[in-house]
Amino acid sequence: MSSAVLTDSRWIARGADRSSFSRFLTWLAPWLALLALGVYAAFVCLYHGLNQTNMDNRFAFGLWIFLDLGIIALGAGAFFTGFLVYILKRAELQPILNTAVVMGFICYSGAVAILMIDVGQPLRAWFTFWHPNTHSMLTEVTFCISCYLLVLCLEYIPILLRNRQLRRLPSFLVFEHQLHKLVPVLAGIGTFLSFFHQGSLGGLYGVLRGRPFAFRHGFFIWPSTFFLFILSAIATGPSFLMLVTASVEKVTGKELVPQDVFRRLGFISGLLLAIYVAAKSIDTLIWLNFTSPAEGFAPWTYYIHKPFGTPVLFAEIVLFGLLPAFLLLYRKSAAHRGWLLGAATLACIGVLINRFVLTVQTLALPTLPFDDFLTYTPSWQEVASFGGVIAYGVIVYSLSYRYLPLFSQTKGESEHVSRG
Amino acid sequence: MSARYGMVIDLDRCTGCGACMLACAAENNVPSLPQASARTGLTPMLVRKISNGGEGSERREAFIPILCMHCEHETPCVHVCPQQAVEVDKATGIVMQMPQRCLGCRYCMTACPYHARYFNWWDPAWPKGMEKSLNPGVAVRMRGVVEKCNLCHARLHAAKEKAAAAGKREIDPADYIPACVEACPTAAIHFGNLADPRDPVSQQSHSPDAFRLLEHLDTQPKVYYKSKEPWVRALSEPNSGPSMEAKHV
Amino acid sequence: MKVTRRDLFVWGAGAAAGMVFSPVPWKLLDDVSIWTQNWPWIPQPPHGPIEVKQSFCTLCPQGCAMKVKMAGGCPVGVAGVSGNPVTRGALCPLAFGVHQLNWHPQRLRAVRHKRVSSSWSEARAAFAKACGEGPIVIVDGRPGSAASSVLASFAEEQKGSYRVALSLETRALLPYEAMVSPVIPASALGYDLERAQTIVSFGAPLLDGWGIPGRFTRLWSERAAGMSEPQLRLIQIEDSLSRTATRAWRWVAIRPGSKNALAAGLARVLVEEHLVSARGPLSALTVSDAALQTNLSESAIRDLARTMVAKPPVLAIAGDERPEIAALNFILGSVGSPGGIVRRSKPTEKYELANAAIPNARAVLIDASVPWDYAPPTDAEIFRFAAWDGGSNRADWLLPAPGFLEEFTDVNSAPTSAVETYGVAPQLTKPMFEIHSAAQFLSAIDSSFTNPETIIHQRCADLFRERAGTVYGQEIMPVAELDSAQKFEAELSKAALWVADAPKSASLLCELKEWPSTSPAESPRNWSAAWAAAVLPPLATKLYRESSLREAPDRRTA
Repeated sequence: MSSAVLTDSRWIARGADRSSFSRFLTWLAPWLALLALGVYAAFVCLYHGLNQTNMDNRFAFGLWIFLDLGIIALGAGAFFTGFLVYILKRAELQPILNTAVVMGFICYSGAVAILMIDVGQPLRAWFTFWHPNTHSMLTEVTFCISCYLLVLCLEYIPILLRNRQLRRLPSFLVFEHQLHKLVPVLAGIGTFLSFFHQGSLGGLYGVLRGRPFAFRHGFFIWPSTFFLFILSAIATGPSFLMLVTASVEKVTGKELVPQDVFRRLGFISGLLLAIYVAAKSIDTLIWLNFTSPAEGFAPWTYYIHKPFGTPVLFAEIVLFGLLPAFLLLYRKSAAHRGWLLGAATLACIGVLINRFVLTVQTLALPTLPFDDFLTYTPSWQEVASFGGVIAYGVIVYSLSYRYLPLFSQTKGESEHVSRG
Repeated sequence: MSARYGMVIDLDRCTGCGACMLACAAENNVPSLPQASARTGLTPMLVRKISNGGEGSERREAFIPILCMHCEHETPCVHVCPQQAVEVDKATGIVMQMPQRCLGCRYCMTACPYHARYFNWWDPAWPKGMEKSLNPGVAVRMRGVVEKCNLCHARLHAAKEKAAAAGKREIDPADYIPACVEACPTAAIHFGNLADPRDPVSQQSHSPDAFRLLEHLDTQPKVYYKSKEPWVRALSEPNSGPSMEAKHV
Repeated sequence: MKVTRRDLFVWGAGAAAGMVFSPVPWKLLDDVSIWTQNWPWIPQPPHGPIEVKQSFCTLCPQGCAMKVKMAGGCPVGVAGVSGNPVTRGALCPLAFGVHQLNWHPQRLRAVRHKRVSSSWSEARAAFAKACGEGPIVIVDGRPGSAASSVLASFAEEQKGSYRVALSLETRALLPYEAMVSPVIPASALGYDLERAQTIVSFGAPLLDGWGIPGRFTRLWSERAAGMSEPQLRLIQIEDSLSRTATRAWRWVAIRPGSKNALAAGLARVLVEEHLVSARGPLSALTVSDAALQTNLSESAIRDLARTMVAKPPVLAIAGDERPEIAALNFILGSVGSPGGIVRRSKPTEKYELANAAIPNARAVLIDASVPWDYAPPTDAEIFRFAAWDGGSNRADWLLPAPGFLEEFTDVNSAPTSAVETYGVAPQLTKPMFEIHSAAQFLSAIDSSFTNPETIIHQRCADLFRERAGTVYGQEIMPVAELDSAQKFEAELSKAALWVADAPKSASLLCELKEWPSTSPAESPRNWSAAWAAAVLPPLATKLYRESSLREAPDRRTA
């Protein structure tokens, strides 16, 4: 190896056309600054403790948990695409598989990083593995998320090793080849793990007997939110993947994936979203009429506190559920890229509203008859550390896009000259 | 024989003086931090004010001490803790929190309908020298963990040691009285073994004036309240909307 | 063999992979989490032998008996003494945090002159100089104690004046001084709450820090709490729903500032309807005038008067100095009768009150027992004894006084108590720096004065000589059954309480010539009002900060 190895252009895939290194650095600079701020905020929280946040004894969970749940739902595209490609043999989705894996890796590693700041004693986080409480949904979440993050790493490594320079090492090439054979197996494991932790994340709230707004009955040990979370995650994961790919296309000015992949993703997303909206509606009706009254809470009392009135419920189910499902499935709107992406955006917002309502509204609502409705505004440390995660995601994705063959199967990848 | 320690708090006797809160904090080495607020402070025993929502001479107020209810059935916090840092002591029915095991995820706090759990948002601190005034029987909790009422477990421990030293198996009930119970100047807080039908507390818990908060959640709290005032007893009834807003002060 | 960079990489990766299979990372992981459980900056409670001792709280004039848990010579916890006949095991909320007060950041650790550090010798010299130059005034907050007699005799010796800052409860008894004969000072009067069956409180915070915490609250909780037909009827007359009003048998909501009118109206109904044997004098106010002023209906006032006398003895208690309420008690026949206003101890001299004007004094010495809020109405040089510095005080000299349990002192009958008591508070902790009480300070200036310790010794001997009363210690013993004065004093120095025998006759000669004219009203406050120290226990401050249970009192939340 010579010092020439360090030249940027030699790391870029042969034939791929990327912007100049300086331009790339200009693109990264603001994100690096945001990342630095995020790292500083995280350090402040770890060093001084969680008093740096605006969470309190009632709002024991705040912005971080909401966004963790949100990005994990949106990152579901990773396992679901793997499942579709390797298990259901939908080969037409192969072009977005790599980008799905990178997205999944970013979402999950980012969420785990935030969780490590969010707990009061991160150095003891491993106690869950040593003294697991098998009754706790959080145990299931911890096990599944950490295992799945490992799987995502293993799935990411083959993509990483396909880098032009790394490929030159024979042992890496062999390793990558062997690992690649494992990928379908990993996809299977990933699907299994993801299925459970997406569900358990929903279960986290569904089991809260003490929070009648979130509490749901269900099937066996799993409350209905367990299944609703899986459904909503796999319904919006493909939409989010579509949005990410479309954004990358926009930024790079290249067409990276064939249009029919978009339509396929849109259809899958729409179909699952429709099923989810139906299930969610039935669940809501059961909860309003049976579960909540049985717990001693007249359900309309949940909606007397502004801004969490019934419009939020309507928005969650109809505006950001039923409507995008229709747009994604309706032949005419689905054929139009603008409508397709618009609907995908609505679907993603819908799942975020759902996670927000379940995490934040649940805690804001009073339980004791003499409790107040409380509000909470995150501190800059909370916002900045999350901003850091977003920046981390953009940076990892940008680096992956520049140096790794994310869209290697796309012929047009090198035909246009643009920045990247 | 396994005991089921619990309380019956007579709200008609509570004058809201706050002696229980101070005695609890002193017994359990709870710090008084200038940074803490009503939302971030540590008050394992917290007296709250309630009213019937009336105006002028129609107004009635009462005080209600809120502490860990030591739920007996499907204890919400115990179920959710990922690493068994919370457990119900089989011998006493006390819901125990182990700060050394806790990772501070605060899931138990979201699970508790009574808001009786508190997070150590700060490192515990006292003015210089004041650590010499701490209760030697209770360990100070570090930052980043959850804590709550454990019915003055250190006192139970001391009572057990005393009984053991005297060669007895059972503790003398007079030796185990939580700090808040001892401190109450109007004897509003009654503490005893709910599993023992001869125990006055167990008998009082069956009184028609006795009730529990959020009874419909079916977590079977072991802290009972008692009042002859119908509007106070109505706290146990399922909420019915506007009254919920009217009742808080 | 040439070592290439690749070799280094391979070696590094191999070592990292191999490390995972060694105990090193796992041991480190474990050690790191154990470290989080033993952070060196987390304070550790003291170690040492634990013992439980008894003493009295001297931070307010009530002087409640308390059990103090000591570890390694430091007080680590406080509890009530259930065998004490006065407190009956109860304490005020503040008491549960007093053991932390000596470590309060605002503890006064050295003499300060005009906010600048000074010394005891300079303070002594300055005070001696002042004594030589003009009249001095000495203000005491706990009259009747051994230290008080030093303060009083020093003032007398110097031709100065000795004044007393009386508690609000005692000040509420001042109107009776003029009514009874021979004249009995308010500090020797008390309420016979135990025998009263109806108590009409005109805004007195009876359940919120009025008098000894254990006395009325215990009585109320046994005889009234939660009962629809209580043995003790508590009627609270107040404009707002106070803590006492919430728990009273009846709350009579009246317009602010109309208590006097109601008292006058009630007296008129009592006399006109022959509900009492007294014939007057009455106020010029008619019942309908009273109704108009109080915003009650005329029939409500009449009903209230009838309800009051339905269950005698009935006692009216004012929250402040209010002659109208005293007059109402006179009409009710409750002055000098069982269940009413009674004489506690032998007649003593009347005290000059601290809030009276202080003309041309050269210096004012204020004892640590006087509430920090007290500001003498004078321009003289002020010598202020205090254990804590609450700031915003005009004192020229701040002199560090003993804090909690740092002084051997005696405790007299609590204000409003119906029986005479005497106790000795042993010194349980060693002072951390040079501190002196005002009495010690004065004894040091003029060594001809007997020090408080000797006075306490003499008082014990005097009490024993009378062979009356009972000692409440580990066991209850009549003084007559004790062998020697030494035994008696030994019991008392372990914080046993001497309680006088109940007076055989409570009757007092009393007379009311005319219905008093309107008095200025002072709003009664809760238990923090009588508190002498400049600061509250940190845990009490916590209660204000971390709950909405109470409004924090002014200036004391530091």
